[in-house]
Amino acid sequence: MLSTRHYRKPLPLLSLLSTLATACSFSAAANAASDQTATYPDWSGQWERIGSLNWPPEGYDKAGPAPLTPEYKAIYEQNLALRADGILAGDPPATCLPPGMPRMMKMSFPMEIIITPGITYIYADWESQIRRVYTDGRDWPDYILPEFNGYSIGSWRDDNNDGSFDTLAIETRGIKGPRSIDSTGVVLHENNETVVFEEIHQVDANTLENRITTIDDAFTGPWTINQQYNHVTENIVWVEYVCAEGNRHIQLGNEWYFLNDELGILEPTREGQPALVPATP
Amino acid sequence: MLRIRSGNFAKPLLFFVALLFARLVAAHHSTAIYDSEHPVELAGKVVEWKFTNPHCIIVMDVVAADGSVQRWNVEGGNTSGLFRNGWTPQTLQPGDEIIVTVRPLRSGAFGGNYSNPRRGNGEPVIAQTAARGR
Repeated sequence: MLSTRHYRKPLPLLSLLSTLATACSFSAAANAASDQTATYPDWSGQWERIGSLNWPPEGYDKAGPAPLTPEYKAIYEQNLALRADGILAGDPPATCLPPGMPRMMKMSFPMEIIITPGITYIYADWESQIRRVYTDGRDWPDYILPEFNGYSIGSWRDDNNDGSFDTLAIETRGIKGPRSIDSTGVVLHENNETVVFEEIHQVDANTLENRITTIDDAFTGPWTINQQYNHVTENIVWVEYVCAEGNRHIQLGNEWYFLNDELGILEPTREGQPALVPATP
Repeated sequence: MLRIRSGNFAKPLLFFVALLFARLVAAHHSTAIYDSEHPVELAGKVVEWKFTNPHCIIVMDVVAADGSVQRWNVEGGNTSGLFRNGWTPQTLQPGDEIIVTVRPLRSGAFGGNYSNPRRGNGEPVIAQTAARGR
């Protein structure tokens, strides 16, 4: 029997309000999407992150911390304590797992946006990840196979009524874990029922903005970040990223090691931890 | 001369160079396993330069105060950022003298996270004018 676990989730009041607001905009989006005469924006080239490598772009000092529930605030503080002991807790990409949504959209490395009428592809240089945002008017499938980048349905809008699409609204569900919001030790809820709403539009010739609202049971309510990206149009360089090629960080159970392939051993990362040395015949 | 020095961040020039390089070495994941409070300056000879992701690796031999040779594995930067700033898999060759600032593993093993790489004479490994693309 098909599960609907990743199809719809009951939302708390704050989430419901956000959803209603977004539903209104999606309704408008559907209208715009049906206008076959509208043209798409030219977002070709390369887009690189503006601001901090961690959320929010202006830094936690100015914007304040993520709105964690008491349970997940305790997990965050535990992760900090473990890190002080040399354990890389609360940061799954350290083992080469992809960042997943919404962290993928932080764009540690540049992204490329490829727009077609039915699908918009968002390529992230980090981990060579790609998102497919379906804009063909489809409904949610009966079952979404969870993936780190989730399943995304988008709609184009013509907010300034000039006959051209200017805003891509996206809803993403069915996101796989484990995931962290960034590298600071804030993890998302282990139930992986995250829902992410995005509104991407160009604010000036050189700047793209993504208004990202994350609804997750690790948070007390929706958390919205405005992430901007700078447009690179000349001398564009793309560099292949294969994390397994040189990753040194190995997690075995609750222990972390640093691979030393020169010696063929796993070096300890914390004081008092023994190295792992293969037995010799 | 190959040597290990304890952290010396008082020199304004070194600090400025470190700031310039900070963007290149910004890690995509936490660096909590490294001891940022007790950085060391390592000067040694390159054994191998691995131009890989998620981080590039310098394997280097360092002569300790007691004369023993320590083989360090230090990671830093990434191919995307380094290539844009002129680095390639051929930038460092075995035998090259190099100096790096290292946040060592908290365990005391000879591994860590490097920044501010310099040639043995203290000059930048890559001149800023060598940058390509963005």
